[in-house]
Amino acid sequence: MSTPSDTKPLDFAAYWQDTLSQLARLPAAPEVEEIPLRSTDFATAYGVQLTSIGPYRIFGYLSIPTGEGPFPARYFLPRYGSVADLVPQGTSNGQRQRYVTFAICARGQRRSDRPYSAGFPGQLTDGIDDPYGYIYRGIVADCCRGLEFLVSRPEVNPQRVAAIGTDMALDTAALCPRVTHLVYTPVIFFQTLERAAATQAYPLEELNDYLRQRPEQRDQVAQTLAYYDASHFAPMVGARTLLMAEAGASPLGPAAMETVAGSIRSSTDVHESENSGYRDGAYSELWLSRELGVPEASLPPHWR
Amino acid sequence: MTILSNPAEFVSSVKRPADIDAFWEDVMAQTARIPLQLDVTHDPLRSSPQVDVYQVHYTSLDHVRIAGWYARPANHAGQLPGLLVVPGYSMEPLIPKNWAARGYAAFSVAPRGKLRSNGQFNPGYPGLLTHGIVDRNTYTYRGFYMDSCRGVDFLLSRDEVDADRLGVTGHSQGGGLSVVVAALRPEIKVATSGAPFLCGFMDAIDLTDGYPYQEIADYLRLHPDSRQQVTDTVAYFDGISLAPRITCPIIVNIGLQDSTCPPETGYALFRAIGSEDKQLYDYDGYGHDANNAVHTGIIEAFLAQHLEP
Repeated sequence: MSTPSDTKPLDFAAYWQDTLSQLARLPAAPEVEEIPLRSTDFATAYGVQLTSIGPYRIFGYLSIPTGEGPFPARYFLPRYGSVADLVPQGTSNGQRQRYVTFAICARGQRRSDRPYSAGFPGQLTDGIDDPYGYIYRGIVADCCRGLEFLVSRPEVNPQRVAAIGTDMALDTAALCPRVTHLVYTPVIFFQTLERAAATQAYPLEELNDYLRQRPEQRDQVAQTLAYYDASHFAPMVGARTLLMAEAGASPLGPAAMETVAGSIRSSTDVHESENSGYRDGAYSELWLSRELGVPEASLPPHWR
Repeated sequence: MTILSNPAEFVSSVKRPADIDAFWEDVMAQTARIPLQLDVTHDPLRSSPQVDVYQVHYTSLDHVRIAGWYARPANHAGQLPGLLVVPGYSMEPLIPKNWAARGYAAFSVAPRGKLRSNGQFNPGYPGLLTHGIVDRNTYTYRGFYMDSCRGVDFLLSRDEVDADRLGVTGHSQGGGLSVVVAALRPEIKVATSGAPFLCGFMDAIDLTDGYPYQEIADYLRLHPDSRQQVTDTVAYFDGISLAPRITCPIIVNIGLQDSTCPPETGYALFRAIGSEDKQLYDYDGYGHDANNAVHTGIIEAFLAQHLEP
């Protein structure tokens, strides 16, 4: 009988406490430098460098609206891939008028790729035989460090701090109680091995590739992934949450994600994808602006 | 920023340069003089019982080494149709196992600046779109387009690939690159282009405030005196300028609420395509996905009809 990848490890809490303790022992040592090319008359852009566990130096894009704050904040967490944008592709750059935005480039991504440059594929299985050596432990720490930096800024309204993204957004909201709002789109870390067995698409195909070469490592891989399963992070989340589920009977659809949504401690809305970047994006944007108390949603011109 | 109620009525500002054909013939001739210097290595980690995967490297314009993933059915008899898969702007090129499983010899290229092709050239993201943009002879996409076109040379180098059954497919920047490769390489017999980027560059910066096109708006805000030079440069690289060269069957899909690649530019591209065998799928209620959830099946059927895997 193989170990499921969503069985909660007995030392789950200790594992993450140890990670946060390591982070707390390291000063963030921020360096903040303006990026004139990305600055506008309504917002100033900055490049930020911070120290995370390792120690490892990570980069982020910060944007601060022109005018008197404090402003609500949007914290964009990294997806699986090398590129992190100032604001996510497909969203309006105009959001920088109304929100402080911060996008973290986790270790291995561009701008945070010295000395470690991640491969895609490659990152999902890097160090996966050992929970303490797994690359995602550092990535989650990078995300928490970014959140600490963001809420330390005087321009940020600490009552309105939204974490937005895929798996790392959930993990950050779980580990950092100063996240007040969460828009979470599950992608990788939920019943991960079981879902990988049913697909040939990357990034989950990385796991199939890995286990074809090392089938004897299956239980160890499952144990490592269990430290990252959404079902264990969800009960730690106190932020008001929008869960963006896939459509229909997908393994990440509303029914499959019901236990995750139901165990989040705060009120949680579940949006079932309409398989339309426009409809899903507009729903998320309107939810965020409403919840963060911003009268006008930052919709791109073609969504208005 | 003015959005027309009917984007199909949009008139693009793109002016096709009179010497655009000569420009690209010269660039392609320069590229052809550079030996391909192929390196093809089987990748057991990424292979499966159904699909063999190879890491590929070749030399392109400016002697830049380019990487890619080649996937083909593990067990096949006779020659296979070749499919070039071209990548989006900020995504990593995917290993095209799904196409190999459908019976194609599929090559997914990582043009310069992408991971695995960034050892000699790495302007970064954001940044790639405006690198060298004031001069058509130095603009990033001069080499980037050739790196993609050389994927055709790689496929033609394979004994198992049928040279008479070559296609190209891509979405977003990949949709733009599909247009470019189909325009510049007559060996391509069929093309699909989804939510095409790199079409109507200068129109797009007025139609959308999102990245990646926003990179050009950022650049012009800092360098307002360069606007004419930028306009002159990108005219040579615009899919709308290159599309009249396309003669193969092609389908294009766009989303009418696309905030990344505005639908107005998709319509303008479609009108400019030279092929008589062309079809546009314009999906109302969809964004940059351009209704991929449904349209993927249409692409698969269209390619299968023409390439017979």
